[in-house]
Amino acid sequence: MSEQPISVAPPTPVQPAPLPELAPALHRRWLQWLVAAQVLFVLGVAAAGYATGALGKSIWLRTAPVDPRDLLYGDYVRLNYSISQLPGHLWHGSQLPRRQQAAYVLLEQRNGSYEAVGIYPEKPVEQSNQAILRGSVQDVWRRGLRLRYGLERYYVPEDMSRELQKRQSLRVQVSIAPWGQARITKVETAP
Amino acid sequence: MSRKFLETDGPQWVQKGIITEEQREQLLALYPTDATAIGLLPLLGSFLVGLSALSLVAANWQGLPELVRLALLLGSLCSAYAAGEYFRRRGNTNLGMGLVALGLILFGASIVLTSQLYQLIGYDLTGLLAWAVAGMGLTWLYRSRLLFIMTVVIGGIVQGYNTGQLGAFSYLTAAFTALGLGYYWWRRPDSLAGGVLAAGLLWQAALLINHLHIKITWFVVPAMLIYAFGDWQPDRPAGRAMQGPPLVAAFLFTLGLALFGESDLYTGQLRPPLLAYLGAMGAVLAISLLGKRQRGRLTSATDWLLLLPGFYFTGGLALAVATLVVLYAYSGSVLFRAHQEQNPDRVTLGTVLFIVTTAVAYFKLTWGFMDKSLFFLLGGVLLLGLSWYLRRRANHTFADKTPAKS
Repeated sequence: MSEQPISVAPPTPVQPAPLPELAPALHRRWLQWLVAAQVLFVLGVAAAGYATGALGKSIWLRTAPVDPRDLLYGDYVRLNYSISQLPGHLWHGSQLPRRQQAAYVLLEQRNGSYEAVGIYPEKPVEQSNQAILRGSVQDVWRRGLRLRYGLERYYVPEDMSRELQKRQSLRVQVSIAPWGQARITKVETAP
Repeated sequence: MSRKFLETDGPQWVQKGIITEEQREQLLALYPTDATAIGLLPLLGSFLVGLSALSLVAANWQGLPELVRLALLLGSLCSAYAAGEYFRRRGNTNLGMGLVALGLILFGASIVLTSQLYQLIGYDLTGLLAWAVAGMGLTWLYRSRLLFIMTVVIGGIVQGYNTGQLGAFSYLTAAFTALGLGYYWWRRPDSLAGGVLAAGLLWQAALLINHLHIKITWFVVPAMLIYAFGDWQPDRPAGRAMQGPPLVAAFLFTLGLALFGESDLYTGQLRPPLLAYLGAMGAVLAISLLGKRQRGRLTSATDWLLLLPGFYFTGGLALAVATLVVLYAYSGSVLFRAHQEQNPDRVTLGTVLFIVTTAVAYFKLTWGFMDKSLFFLLGGVLLLGLSWYLRRRANHTFADKTPAKS
């Protein structure tokens, strides 16, 4: 617009070719692909969730008492399982556990619910009364470690939120799919 | 804007005999009425209708069967895209793009709600990353600034969730945002998009520094890399906009050094390993200077004054004073260049920077030994005088310019 005070004649800037608009036919085809991919992705999430519940192995886990005040912060409760903090002697790796590391927890049935019998850096072999839950190491201290399974949040249905008025422990039914994915299928108040 | 101006002032020009009535109408015809104003009402209307539908569904969400919920999500997703495409093809671009953007939001909501439906809370971020990928795809498909900005924001959300909730930094997300959107902006330079992209990338860089628990000084390395990218952009205004956020960060950083630099405790927290830091900064400086030379903008190299690594010196008060000198040199250079280029926006910017620096300098150097009321009085007088002088300088510059142009 106005005369720019350029002192030395600069090497002519290489203006990249401006990005042209897509041709309508191409645009339409790509749009169809993109929307189809989004729909398929959502369906995939739903299918994975459904299949995990239908094909998976059901186990019961115990939680620490749930604070009902948590419900005020949203429509879910934070669950802290008996297997969320485990003693360090259960660790079966050649090296010490590190934060963010993947960990496979071998569970065994003990009077009604499943408890941890070992933590492995690689997937171990399970027997029929056992199950394997995949988690990640969150914290390591001298005597134990804290794990996270991706099951720590439960979206409470309306009819249940009335039951959860006082502080109490819960029994959580988890379904573990053969491919390792796990999800909560049922939550009960512990007797 | 121009049309409004013509409509209000045009009749006067006819009255004064500058143009005839026909010429006024011809001029008006050059600026057809903006279509956006008309597009706004249906947009607001559909927004309200959508809101009521949303609240109806949300109130009964828990009671609906799973398949109905899924169908509702996917149905609204597809119809948003279809309606967007329909309006865009009819020429109503704003409404069309708004609906496509709604579709993108619905995709994110569908992922989250479907996961909740099946109590899936994966500890990988595949779902959120898919949202960012969809945003990127749509940006490239529609060549739209709105979608570009949304993708920057989505990338920031994904990274924030990942570092905050999952305790890991996703380098994939960072590289994906930087490369995908960076290249897009390179080919389609735009000021607003440049500024937003720079801010989004700075946010991710800050999350990375926080995640790695390293000295916060390292933040300026990626920040200045973004700045250097702006240097290479042939489109000057867009490049300048990209450089805005990094420069603000660098200025605040130096200002902090001027304020607290005399405490060795503070500067000690800023000192990264000397060779590694200076090496990285040197490399970025070289990239930036090469870009400036290539585009004939070497005068803007004064921006780099803000990056002088003064925190390595354990000078106490002397360091704070030296930093103030640097700040003065910087804001002075901004003012000087603005006057030289006769750019009113930059004159304002330079004036503000100069006054902020003066306020800090005054606060720093006199607070300790001056009576408080005298302190404020003199400070006020100093700032008023300074702003009066700078405004006079600016008026002078632009008064020179006006007769030369007419």
